[in-house]
Amino acid sequence: MGVLRTIGIRALTLIGVVIAVLLMLVIVLGVTGLSDKMLKAIADQILMEIRQGLAREIKDPEALKAAIEQQRMEIYAAFGLDKPWYARIPDMVVRVMTFDLGYTRTIKSFTGSQRVADIIWERLPNTILLVTTAIAISAVLGLIIGVKVATRPGSRLDRVASYFSAISFALPTWWTGIIFIFVFAFYFRLFPFGGMYSAPPPEEPLARFLDLLWHAALPVTTLVVALVGSWIYVTRTIVLNTAQEDFVAAARAKGLPESVVRRRYIIRVAAPPILTNIVLGLAGSIGGAIITETVFQWPGMGSLYYQAIFSLEENLIIALTFIFTVVYVAARFILEILYIVLDPRVRY
Amino acid sequence: MSVGRDALREFWASKVSKMGVALLVLLVVVSVYVVLTYPLDFGLRYWNNPAYWADNPKAVPPEWWNLFTDKKLPPHVIKDFHEPSDVRDQRGRRILEYVYSFDFQYDEFPSFLSISLNNVTFSSRRPPRVEIFLDRPDNISVRLLRFTVTGPRPGEEAPYFRYVEAPNRVRITGDKNVFSALSAMLKKYYGLSIRPSEVGEIGAEKVAFGEPSGDGFKVLRGRYVLRAVVTGYDEDVDVGMLRMVVGGRVYGFSGTDTLGRDLAVGLLFGFPIALLIGFLTSTVTTIIGAITGVISGYMGGKVDTGIQRLSDIILNIPLLPILIFFTFVLGTEIPRLWVIIAILIAFSWPSLTIVVRPMVLQIRESQFVEAAVAIGAPRLWIMFRHIFPQVAPFVFAQLIFFTPSAILAEAALSFLGLGDPSMPTWGQILETGFRSGGVYIGYWWWVLPPGLLIVFAAITFVLIALGLEPVVNPRLRRMK
Amino acid sequence: MAVLDIVNLRLYYKTLRGTVRAVERVSYRVEPGEALGIVGESGCGKTSMANAIMRTLPSNVEVYDGHVIVDGHDVVRMSEEEVRRKIRWRKVSMVFQGAMNALNPVIRVGLQVAEPLIIHEGMDKREALEIAREKLKLVGLPPEVSDRYPHELSGGMKQRVVIAMALVMNPKLVILDEPTSALDVSIQAQIMNLLKKLKREMGLSMIFITHDIALASDLSDRIAVMYAGQVVEIGSAEQVLLEPKHPYTQKLLAATPRLRADITPEFIPGAPPDLASPPQGCRFHPRCPYVMDRCRREEPPDFEVDGGRYVKCWLYGEEG
Repeated sequence: MGVLRTIGIRALTLIGVVIAVLLMLVIVLGVTGLSDKMLKAIADQILMEIRQGLAREIKDPEALKAAIEQQRMEIYAAFGLDKPWYARIPDMVVRVMTFDLGYTRTIKSFTGSQRVADIIWERLPNTILLVTTAIAISAVLGLIIGVKVATRPGSRLDRVASYFSAISFALPTWWTGIIFIFVFAFYFRLFPFGGMYSAPPPEEPLARFLDLLWHAALPVTTLVVALVGSWIYVTRTIVLNTAQEDFVAAARAKGLPESVVRRRYIIRVAAPPILTNIVLGLAGSIGGAIITETVFQWPGMGSLYYQAIFSLEENLIIALTFIFTVVYVAARFILEILYIVLDPRVRY
Repeated sequence: MSVGRDALREFWASKVSKMGVALLVLLVVVSVYVVLTYPLDFGLRYWNNPAYWADNPKAVPPEWWNLFTDKKLPPHVIKDFHEPSDVRDQRGRRILEYVYSFDFQYDEFPSFLSISLNNVTFSSRRPPRVEIFLDRPDNISVRLLRFTVTGPRPGEEAPYFRYVEAPNRVRITGDKNVFSALSAMLKKYYGLSIRPSEVGEIGAEKVAFGEPSGDGFKVLRGRYVLRAVVTGYDEDVDVGMLRMVVGGRVYGFSGTDTLGRDLAVGLLFGFPIALLIGFLTSTVTTIIGAITGVISGYMGGKVDTGIQRLSDIILNIPLLPILIFFTFVLGTEIPRLWVIIAILIAFSWPSLTIVVRPMVLQIRESQFVEAAVAIGAPRLWIMFRHIFPQVAPFVFAQLIFFTPSAILAEAALSFLGLGDPSMPTWGQILETGFRSGGVYIGYWWWVLPPGLLIVFAAITFVLIALGLEPVVNPRLRRMK
Repeated sequence: MAVLDIVNLRLYYKTLRGTVRAVERVSYRVEPGEALGIVGESGCGKTSMANAIMRTLPSNVEVYDGHVIVDGHDVVRMSEEEVRRKIRWRKVSMVFQGAMNALNPVIRVGLQVAEPLIIHEGMDKREALEIAREKLKLVGLPPEVSDRYPHELSGGMKQRVVIAMALVMNPKLVILDEPTSALDVSIQAQIMNLLKKLKREMGLSMIFITHDIALASDLSDRIAVMYAGQVVEIGSAEQVLLEPKHPYTQKLLAATPRLRADITPEFIPGAPPDLASPPQGCRFHPRCPYVMDRCRREEPPDFEVDGGRYVKCWLYGEEG
C-alpha cells in the first residue's frame, strides 16, 4: 500500500517531466522557426506527389497552376502552417511523440528507408544493448570493489582504488575510446576499429554472436571505465559512512556475526543512497553512450546523433532528443521503484 | 578564525591536495601567459586562416619524436633572406643571388620545397626574372624553376611594387615545370625515362633529394645548395624578403595537423578557455544552486515545494541530449560557447539545491537561528548571514567539483561537432583530428595531447576536491 | 555469586594526540538483582567501560586487560568468537545511548527485537516474533508496533523497543548507557518507571550509566562515581548521596540544583583532564579543594571506608 502509492505518485511526476520536455522542445522549435521549416518540408513532399498526379490529368498550364495552388493552400492549412507556431503546439507535441517528423535528407536506415521513425526504431535496440551491458558490469564491479575497499579504509587497495576513481572520473569517455582504438586496434590489432559486426557478418548464429562480442568488447570496456570509477568511490564513501552509524555498533553488541552485520546492517542500509548515486550517474551514461557510439561507430542512436548533426537533419535530432529523454526517465523510474522498495523511509 | 586555519591545515596535510594545487597553479600560469601574448581574435585571424600556416609541413609529428625513432626525420627549415647573399652587376643587369647551403643527413625526404617573395620593387619596364637552382651532393645541378615577376600594367608608373600585402608563394615540389626539369635531369644523368607526370606521382621531393635505387628512390645524403637568382634590369631592383622553406617531417613541440597548423599554439590557446568555461559555469551554477537550496530549505511552504518540483523536473532531463539539441538549434544565432555555458548552468544547478536543502533544514532548527528570529532579524538577513556560512564550505567543495564536469561537457560537445569552430579548444582540436580519420591513420600527436590536457585539467580539480573532502566531512578525517 | 565481577579493567586507545587511557584499573561487582548506577561527567570513560564489558572495542585499541568475569567466563581472556556466541546478548545485553540511532532504519522493529533469538538460538522466525511481541508487551507497547519501522515511532517508543530488544534473551545483566538523555522529561519518567518495574518483577541486574546523579539515585541500589577513567567512589546509594566522601562526589552533589532548597549550585572549577595525558598522582588533584602534596605525586589506592564502601582518596589513607 505505501509502496504502491509512492510508486504511483512518482510515475505521475515523471510523466509530467516528459510532457515538460516535449513542451520545451516544441516551443523552442516554434520560436526559432524550425517547426515551420520542418512542416513545410513534409507538406511540400506531399505536394510534390500530388503535383505529379495532377500534371497527368490536367493539361492546361494555367489550370494546372491554379489547381496546384489550391492544393497547396489546403495542405498547408491541414498542417496548420497558416497559423502562428504557438497555435500548433498540441499538434507538434503529438508529432514529436510518435516520431511523425517526416523524412531525412540524406541519412538512410539499414533497410534504405528515410522515414525518421524507421531509422530510430532500428537503432534503438543496439544502443540499449550497449548501455545496459556496460551499466550492469559497472554496477556489479562498483558494488563489489566498493564494499571490499570500504571494509579496509586507508589500506593500499583503498588508495589505489581512490586514485583509479579520480582518474576514471576525469577521463573523457571519447578519449578513452580513442586510446583504446589506438592501442588495441591500431597497434596490437587485437580488436576491430569499430562497427557492430564485421562486414559481411557471419551467417552461423554462434559465430555471429562471437563476432558481436568481439566488436562490443572495446566500446563496452570504454563505457565501463568511464562509469566504474565514480561508482566505486561513491559506494565506498556511503558504506564507510553507514558502517560508522550507531546501529551497526549496536548490531555487533547484539552478538550478530560479522557477515550478518555486513549484509543486513551495512549494505542493506547503504543500498538506497548508493542507488541514488547510480541514478545520478545515469545521465553520464547516456552522454557516454552517445560519444562511445560515435567513436566506435556502433550503429546505435548515439552515432546517429553525430551523423545528424553533421548532416544538419533537424528532425532526427528532435526525435533523438525526445527518445533519449524518455529512455532516461524510464531508467530513473525503474531505479526509483527499486529505491522505494528498499527504503521504507520514503514511502507515504 | 581558527576554523579556517584548521581547515587549511587539514587540507594541506594530504599529498593529494598538494598535487592538485600545484597543477592548478600551472594551469593558471599558462593561461595568464596565453591571455597576455595572444591576440584576442586569434581564432578567426590565425587559426582559421590557412594562409598563415602555409609554410608548415602538414600532419607531421613533433620534433622530439626523432629521439624515439630509428629513422632520423628532417626538421623543418625556414630561411628568410632580407638581403641577398651576393649582388652582381653584369652586362647592364643587376643579379641578386640568394644562397642557402645545408647538409642533409636524414633518413627521410623533406616534405616539400617552397619559395616566397615579398615586397619586390623594380623600375625597368622589363620585370625581373627568378630562377631556382638546386646543387646536389652528387655534383648534379638542376635548374628547377624559372618564372618572371608580373610586369607593369597599362597605365602603371615606375617604380613598380609587387607582392606587398601578400607574398608570392611558389610550391616548388608541386609545380609541373619542376616535374619536367627533374624528368630531364633523370634522363641526362641517370639515363632514366620517367615522364614529368610520373615524377609528380612519385613525388618531386623524392626525385630532387634522392637517387634512383631499385624500384624507387633513396635519400641522397650530403651537402645541398639551394640558390635563388633574381635577375633585374635596373638598379632599383630589390626584394624585401625572400623565404626558402625546406619542409621537414617533424615540427615544433606538438607537431602539426593536416592544415599545417602548429598544434602547440592551438593547444595553448585551449588553456584559458578551459579555465574560463570551467570556472564560469561552476561558479554560477554553485551560486544559483546554493541560493535556491537555502531559500527552499528555510522558507518552506509553497516556495519550497515549487523549487523542489522544478529541481525534480530538471534533474530528470538527460544533460547531453538537451545540450546537443539547444546547441544545434540556437547555435547559429548565438555564439555556441555561450549557449553551452548557459545550458550547462541551467540544467546543473538543481543537483546542488537538493543537497543543500536538507542541510538547511537541519541548521534552521539550531539555537542561533532561533535567537536571530527572536531578535527580529529579517528573513533575508538570517538566510545569508547565519545559514549560508554554515553550508559555505560544502558549497565551495562542490564548486571545485563542478568545474571538471563543465570542461568535460564542453569537450564532449566539441567532439561531437557542436563546438565553436573558430576557436581552438582542446575538444575542437580533437574533433578535427577524429573527423579527418587521424585515429585510424595513427596521427597520435594530434589526438592524444588534447585529451591528455583535458584529463590533466579535470584531474587538477578532482584532486583538490578529494583533498577538501576530509575538511568538509569530518568523519573521514585521518585518525593517524 | 556476583553476576559481574570486574577486576583491574584497563582500556587504552591510540589516537592522534597519543594514548588515551579511557578506563584505568577499574574494579567492582554487581550482585544478582542489583542496580548499579555509574555517574560521571561526559568524557570520563563511562561508555568506554560499557564497551569494555561487552568487548565491543574500536579498531584503535591499544591496551585491554584485567578481568571481566560473567557467569564464570572471563571476557577479556576469551576469543572474539566465543564472546560473540556465549556472552553477548545471552548473558549481557545493552541499551544504547540515543536509541533512535540504535535501530536499523530499513528493518521492521519486531524483527530486530527477534533477531538475536533467530541468530543465537536458531529459532524459527515465527516463534521468535511471538516472543518479541511478548517482550514488547512487557515494556508497555502494543503488539502492532512489531510491524512498524523505526521512523514511524516516537522517541519514547523507540527507547522501549530497545529495552525490549535487550531483554529478549533474558540476560543476566543489562547495561543501560544514558537511556533517557535524548528524551524529554515526561517520557523520561515513564521509562524510569518501566525500568523500576522490570527490576522488581524480573529481578533484573542492571548497570545504569548516566551523568544525571538525580536519575541515578532514583533507580540504583549502589552508586559508583567515575572521574577521568577511574572509579573514585563506590557504595550504597544512600551512603554516596547523603554522605559523599570523595571531594569530587561532594562537588558533584553540590552542583546539582535542588527544587525546594534555597541553595545556589556550585560549579567545579577547572575542566576534566585530557585522558591522553592525565595528571600525575591523583587525577582529580588540580581541581580538588583539599589537595595535599602527596596527591600530586602518588595515585591513591582504593581505601575501604565502612563495609563495602571504597574511596580513592588520600584523605582517607590514614583513617581506617
